[in-house]
Amino acid sequence: MKKLQGNIIAKVCAWIVLLAAALGAGVFGVRAVLSFQSVTADSWQSSGRFYSALEDRRQEVCDNVYLIWELKRVENRIKAGTDDAMIRADAEGFREAIASAEERLSRENTWFRFRVLSEDDETVSGTNLGEGESMLRAVKEICRYSFELPENGVYYSYFDYHGSNPNPELAAGEDAEAAQPLRLVLEYGVPEEADGSIQDEFYQMKQLWEIDRANFDEYLTGFLNLGALALLALIWILWTAGHKAGEESIVTTWQERIFFDLYAAVMIFAAVWLAFCTVWAAEQLYWGQSYAVRAENFELFFNLGVMGAAALFAAGAACGTLLLRTLAVRIKARCLGKTTLLCRVVGWTVRTVHDFVRFLPFTWKLVLGFGAYVIFTFWLIQVGRYDGIFMLMYFCLQLALLLFLSWWAYGYHRLRKGTKTIAGGDLEYQIDTKHMPYDLRLQAEDLNNISVGLAGAVDEKMKSERFKAELITNVSHDLKTPLTSIINYVNLLKSTEQSDPKAVEYIEVLDRKSQRLKKLTEDLVEASKASTGVLSVVREKIGMGQLIDQATAEWEEKLTDKKLSLVTTLPEGETWVYADGRHLWRVLDNLLSNCAKYAMEGTRVYLDLERGKGQVALSVKNISREPLNVPAERLMERFVRGEESRSTEGSGLGLSIARSLTELQGGSFDLAVDGDLFKAMVTLPQAN
Amino acid sequence: MYTILICDDDRDIVSALDIYLTSEGYQTIKAYDGREAVRAAETHEIHLILMDIMMPELDGIRATAKLREGSNVPIILLTAKSEDTDKILGLNIGADDYITKPFNPLEVIARVKSQLRRYTALGGAEKGPGLITAGPIAMDDGAKVVTVDGEPINLTPIEYNILKLLLSHPGQVFSSAQIYEQVWNDPAYGSENTVAVHIRHLREKIEINPAEPRYLKVVWGLGYKIEKGA
Repeated sequence: MKKLQGNIIAKVCAWIVLLAAALGAGVFGVRAVLSFQSVTADSWQSSGRFYSALEDRRQEVCDNVYLIWELKRVENRIKAGTDDAMIRADAEGFREAIASAEERLSRENTWFRFRVLSEDDETVSGTNLGEGESMLRAVKEICRYSFELPENGVYYSYFDYHGSNPNPELAAGEDAEAAQPLRLVLEYGVPEEADGSIQDEFYQMKQLWEIDRANFDEYLTGFLNLGALALLALIWILWTAGHKAGEESIVTTWQERIFFDLYAAVMIFAAVWLAFCTVWAAEQLYWGQSYAVRAENFELFFNLGVMGAAALFAAGAACGTLLLRTLAVRIKARCLGKTTLLCRVVGWTVRTVHDFVRFLPFTWKLVLGFGAYVIFTFWLIQVGRYDGIFMLMYFCLQLALLLFLSWWAYGYHRLRKGTKTIAGGDLEYQIDTKHMPYDLRLQAEDLNNISVGLAGAVDEKMKSERFKAELITNVSHDLKTPLTSIINYVNLLKSTEQSDPKAVEYIEVLDRKSQRLKKLTEDLVEASKASTGVLSVVREKIGMGQLIDQATAEWEEKLTDKKLSLVTTLPEGETWVYADGRHLWRVLDNLLSNCAKYAMEGTRVYLDLERGKGQVALSVKNISREPLNVPAERLMERFVRGEESRSTEGSGLGLSIARSLTELQGGSFDLAVDGDLFKAMVTLPQAN
Repeated sequence: MYTILICDDDRDIVSALDIYLTSEGYQTIKAYDGREAVRAAETHEIHLILMDIMMPELDGIRATAKLREGSNVPIILLTAKSEDTDKILGLNIGADDYITKPFNPLEVIARVKSQLRRYTALGGAEKGPGLITAGPIAMDDGAKVVTVDGEPINLTPIEYNILKLLLSHPGQVFSSAQIYEQVWNDPAYGSENTVAVHIRHLREKIEINPAEPRYLKVVWGLGYKIEKGA
């Protein structure tokens, strides 16, 4: 099938078949048209052609009557004595003409029958009817023709086919009245049974009519069959149009590069013109038949004429086929719109206007839109004050405006809802921008993009958090493993006998430092975890009194060892906060451990708990052993300690960890340094 | 004579542990990754396994899971991972105890002893009418004797009463005030702060590492409890 579609020979054959079939259909068509009247009419006499021939004969009779009348005038003038060669020659010429006309009009030479009567139908001044033959019997239908022979040579005439009385008023002119014209009536007609005994044009006409009548069915069948064949060829051409052997896609030719509307205009013009030509040619043939029929090689000329008309028809069909073919190719290649000038122009205009309106700043849109609305409304009111249709248009306009505003409002509502959802944390949410006003859609799309970007950022953050957590775990593992060996082997060394007392001392240092390293590593990991937020926080309602109680129990002994006394002040009843107990314990643990490390011996450590305004504040106060030569903020930084020397235990991470942990639980951590007074304050939201 | 399988990818740690455990009179088998440990456990009679978590080939968690398929030998995980989730995962997968690195050798020995005692105790003490147990802790209320892994410990009457209260309600958290009211039979008017001190002492007697209790847990800000099913 595909192969057949691309076959060039099949295509050429199809064209040849189309043209031949169109030509043949043209021939049969023209003949069918020419013979059409013969089947519709009952008599061969009811054709225009017959009337035309009849009128020609009538004219001949009229002319003859006129000639007779002229001759009479000339003879009168000769009788009156005006006698010269010119007039005689005239008279002679008239006589000859009359004689030849009478010969032609004689009943032996024509089937035409006539009778010239005076105005009152009394006197017959000329006829070719036989003796006792009545006009009514002789012809199929009597035609009547009235005419006048005025003195001045101008005569008026009118037809009266149906034999009613002539109406003199209609013909009467001022001059005619003055000239007292002679009125005559001509009755004429042709018998139905015009047979071969007289071979005049009427006989020919009848013969033709009979042949036509006999052949019409044949012509029509021929036309229909060949037309169907041409149609099949056309379908084949349209089906194969644009296909070419060895090409997958539709192939366009130079014809498809011409704008379709221009091409169509030319082709339609050509086809219509050719159709008119065909009709014209057929008409010529129809009328010409009646004359040419008498010519010797009539048959040949007639056939040539028919062929010519058919060729015109075929050419028109070819034009139409070419147009349909390119249309088919364009539709198949989906480029009809693109190759149509009108489509392009309209498309370009629409696009330009659309883009202009679209990219107009919103404010301008509003101003211009409102302006146009106001002007249109005013115009409508002005025009429609007394006009119902305009009032109806006004209401329609208002309704359209209402719909437009509703559309906007609905779009805005969706945008608002989507924004709210995204703001509520659902970053995956995408606002549906279908059927949204352009300006809102822009906004919605941007929001969607933001939410996508945000979701990505959140993802990225999660990833980085996981990475951090993994890093901390790995680093802590890599630090702790060798440290484990160090501690273990130092321990082993300690248990061995050492002869050198210095060695014992060195081992002691190693032990101390390895313990410090252990503490430092643990703190470091914890500090990193706390500050990166990797730690999980489970906040629940916990009692601060209970916690302080537990913490003091842990630390009381160690503080007492350092000669520090702990003074705890708690409010009446239990104080509840929302916090993670383990983390809060670590905060308190670090603060108390700080006291144990840095507070001056023999002083008091104050632990106060206060409630108020939905907050709970826990403060730890102590007197520093060393002067605190750093500002409070610096103390919270990592690896910063209140004293310069680093000989004492402690990593310098305690306060940093405490702050991070407090903040993780939604609290705040503050330090204050007032001389040697060191004060740390943890503030947490109170729970009811 | 107990055989202990030591497994860690760090050879120095393995040999240090080997020295400590050998000096305590245990026989040791060394392995340097999880696969080796599993193989060694199949070929030898092992009484206890000390195993690192982060190891090549087969990590400690998976090795534990594999070992648990056919044996209930005590497994103590050595972990540098200080994440709670890792510990919980290790215990859920079938480990009996865990020690965080860097560890104190004395703690290791204490835990090894504790696990071995529990593992080899033949059915444990007779479950008398007055016997309350939780993990290694057993309290004979009739004889007023408390043992941890079979070792009797000395408790003051207050400590004994506190422990009895907590033991008889495992998993339940008691605040200091509640404990005071139950043990002292007095309403608590701010005098409950002594409870915390008593419990700290109690913890020191029961726990191997009181700073990281396994059985008598401090629920910070809420109170104390005995771990359920410990």
